[in-house]
Amino acid sequence: MTMTRQGFLRLVLAASVAPVGAGLALAQQGDILVGATVPITGPLSLTGKQYHNALQLAEQDINAAGGVNGRKIKIVFEDTQASNSTAVNAFMKLAQETKPAFYFLSSYSTQNLATSPELKKIAVPAMYAGGADIVAEGGNEWLFRVRPADAVSARGMVEAAKLLNAKKPGIIFIQNDFGQGGAQIAAKQFEAAGTPVVGMEAYGQNDKDFSAQMISLRGKGADVILLFNYPQDGALLLRQAKMLGLKMPLVTSSAALVPAALQLISPADLDNVWGVVDAYMDPSVGGRMAEFVARYKKAFGIDPDPYGLAYYDGALIMAEGMRKVGLDPKALRDWLVNLRDWPGIGHVYTFDAKGNGVSDLAIVKARSGTKTLELVKAVKLD
Amino acid sequence: MADFIQLFINGLALGSVYALAAIGFVIVYSATGVVNFAAGQFVMFGTFAGVAMLANAGLPWPVGYAAALLAMAAFGALFFIVVYLPLRTSPVVTVIIGTVAVGIVMQNAALLGFGSWPFRLVSPLEGITIDIGGAAISAHAAMVVVVTGLLVGLIWLLFYRTALGIGMRAVAQDVEAARLMGLNVNRLLALSWMLAAVLAGIAGLLLGPMWFADVNMGDPIALKAFAATIIGGFGSLPGAIAGGLFVGLTELLGASYLSSAYKDLIAFAVMILFLLVRPQGVFGERIQDRG
Repeated sequence: MTMTRQGFLRLVLAASVAPVGAGLALAQQGDILVGATVPITGPLSLTGKQYHNALQLAEQDINAAGGVNGRKIKIVFEDTQASNSTAVNAFMKLAQETKPAFYFLSSYSTQNLATSPELKKIAVPAMYAGGADIVAEGGNEWLFRVRPADAVSARGMVEAAKLLNAKKPGIIFIQNDFGQGGAQIAAKQFEAAGTPVVGMEAYGQNDKDFSAQMISLRGKGADVILLFNYPQDGALLLRQAKMLGLKMPLVTSSAALVPAALQLISPADLDNVWGVVDAYMDPSVGGRMAEFVARYKKAFGIDPDPYGLAYYDGALIMAEGMRKVGLDPKALRDWLVNLRDWPGIGHVYTFDAKGNGVSDLAIVKARSGTKTLELVKAVKLD
Repeated sequence: MADFIQLFINGLALGSVYALAAIGFVIVYSATGVVNFAAGQFVMFGTFAGVAMLANAGLPWPVGYAAALLAMAAFGALFFIVVYLPLRTSPVVTVIIGTVAVGIVMQNAALLGFGSWPFRLVSPLEGITIDIGGAAISAHAAMVVVVTGLLVGLIWLLFYRTALGIGMRAVAQDVEAARLMGLNVNRLLALSWMLAAVLAGIAGLLLGPMWFADVNMGDPIALKAFAATIIGGFGSLPGAIAGGLFVGLTELLGASYLSSAYKDLIAFAVMILFLLVRPQGVFGERIQDRG
């Protein structure tokens, strides 16, 4: 059998083009890619690992339930570490190489503030769990928050201080957008209630000694101290308060009460400590909460925290949106904007005009002599 | 007054840890001319040696502490053999960059070995407080100050009252002259690295219960120890002690009486002032030119 030169060239052309066509077909039929920028290593991984795990669990559950109209989702993770620039690089890598249909961003507001302009350029919806109000105030219509904003948390902490009959509250806060924002909102709330704060003390993200701040507030006569902190420094604050012999109640933001932080402190460190948590994750309430806690613990060997639960709920919301309106970014965004009373495990989600989906939290305190948190009051804010 | 006493003793405790790290810095610099930028990671390794021996292996306090310090001494010797010896004929900048690289390797090795989650290292004096002038002082903080004071005394005895220490000082002053005098220079240099590692280990063991054992804890310590060394005087042991205590006290008293938001700024502003006005630090540098 002989082949002409023209026939040979046609064969070469066909062989060259065929894989491209097959690839396009596969991409259309293949997995739906979802990007997630998560602090998997470094000090912020204390909470980052929780939603790294929770998103993997959600991926399994969504795919086990038939995926999105027959297509599986695949979450591609990039590590943000503890750096804003690394977070932006992680996001850009996903945007340029993976091109996901949806994003999950870090729970750390400073990282999300850095990433937000890039997200706006590529115009794809994203969910995040950072609390700083400034993220939502930035006018990025592609961002959707799946945990209480810091304004909500701060109001919950002020509510806790009122329950403790605070007359001279003091505030210690981590010096970043989260801490400063929360502290200022709380200070305004106290001012409006006629109990202005006696002092506000700051600390840096890498600081390890807080005795100066605590002693200063004690010297000013603070009868309750509010703490706006991250997990590791939050645990250290609670521990050093006991080492300094502080007697007044402490009200901490949610990060110091996640399991990763609680494993660093003793029951004695939690004596006289109240706090707010995004969701009261007590398996004894039964139902989907108990099932989630049990499955998470079985899969990863640790207790889940509210951050992980927020991302799990967020992933299920995303999947439902994709099933209903497809992958078009604008259609998906519009679906989220109009979402009302979506029953998640941690919260009932309704997104407002700024993309805030959660407006409730729980005030808790440690049961005496234990590290078990008990519900003081569920708070729903407008 | 009680508040001041509490702040002062906590500042001394923190400053003592910085001083120990700074002494390790100075010993290595004096003996080898190398600024060890992995010094902070040495302290971090010390804390994790404590975690490995006390928390993981479950050894009793004295045995666990001794085992952790032995491990640190072995690590100092290993550092000398693997990092310093191959690089010692290279330009000083190469050696310095080598210590930076090894510091990064150490941090990542700890991350691989222990993970990114911090550990709680419990003090033998956990939960005990002492009343001094109405101030509740943590017994551990008081122990840190006392142990550092004892160590400073022992280091002085080593360097000024033993043949070994005098030999180490001779090597620090002039390596060639020391070799011509029949001293085993390599052994003495190795001992300098081992001593620096052990001091960093003690700093790490003392620091563990005050902070948490965390793979990222080395950098802030190195920065403060560096500031302490600049302020006290590069190459000066009394300078390292005074500088460390000054930085610790400034950090806490400045945060309480001036501004907590700018507490690091105060210590580093003083360091910059020294660099501009008195670069040799408070105690100057005894060795101007190495042989």
